[in-house]
Amino acid sequence: MNVDEELPRLTRVVTRDDIRAYADVSGDRNALHLDDDVARQEGFDGVIAHGMFTMAHMATCVVAWAGTDTFVERISGHFRATVGVGDTIVAGGRVRAIEGDRATVDAWVQVQRDGQTEWPVRKGEVVLKIGGVRRSAGGP
Amino acid sequence: MNPSAQGKIYPDVTFIVDPARVAAFRDVVGQRDGVPPTFVSAAEFAAFQDVIDDPALALDFSKVLHGSQEYVYERALVEGERLTVRTRIESIRQRGEVGFLTLVTDLTGSDGGLVCTTRTLMVERT
Repeated sequence: MNVDEELPRLTRVVTRDDIRAYADVSGDRNALHLDDDVARQEGFDGVIAHGMFTMAHMATCVVAWAGTDTFVERISGHFRATVGVGDTIVAGGRVRAIEGDRATVDAWVQVQRDGQTEWPVRKGEVVLKIGGVRRSAGGP
Repeated sequence: MNPSAQGKIYPDVTFIVDPARVAAFRDVVGQRDGVPPTFVSAAEFAAFQDVIDDPALALDFSKVLHGSQEYVYERALVEGERLTVRTRIESIRQRGEVGFLTLVTDLTGSDGGLVCTTRTLMVERT
C-alpha cells in the first residue's frame, strides 16, 4: 500500500434483479427501487438502484484490494447521480494518505451516460486500519 | 416533514447479524468472504421502519433519495451476534420544496459497547 496508489477498478452492469435483491437483503423497499410506475412519476426512466447499492460496490472495490480481513474504520460518500437498469457502474479509488497504521482512500463510483461522466458516489472515502498482514498491491 | 420531530429518539430495535442474510448480502454486493462493511445498512433499515412510518414526522418515503452516508466502525460485525440499533433525528431542514432529514444511528453489541455509528441524509423531494 502506497500513497497515490490507484486501486484496480471494479465494473458491473446493474440489472433489475440486482436492485430487487438489494432491496431484499437491505430491507430498503422504497418503491423507487421496485416499481417502475412510481419511479416514472418521480421523473426517472424506471426503477433506480439504491444509493447504498452503489456505495456497497465502492466498498467491495476497496475491500477486494485491501483484503477482506482488513478492518474498515470509516466509509462515507455523497450520492450525486442515480443509477438505472442497464447502467455500467465503475468503482475506483486512490490512496490519499497513510498515517501510522491508518490508510485513507479517496473512492468513487462513476457511470457514463450520453458521453458524460456522472457520479453515483462522489467524494467517497474509506479509512482502513492496516493490520499485521501486509499485502502487495493488486489484491489478496 | 414536521420540523418539530428534530431530536426525536426512536425505540431500540434488535438486529441479528444472521449468517444466511450476510451470505445473501455478500452475493449481491460481490464480496467474497467476511461481513461486508455496508451490511450495517440492513441494521439501519430495521430501525428506519419506525421513522418511515412515524405520523409525527410525516416523511413521504416514496419521494426520498439518499443524499449522503457515513459509517464509523469501532469494530467489525460478527456473524450471529445480536445488536441493539437506536436511531435519532439529528436535524430536519427545509430548503424551498426540498426537505433534508439527517438520522444518526448507533449499533451496540450485547456487551453494551458501541460497534458502529451511522449518519444518513435523506432528501425528500416534492
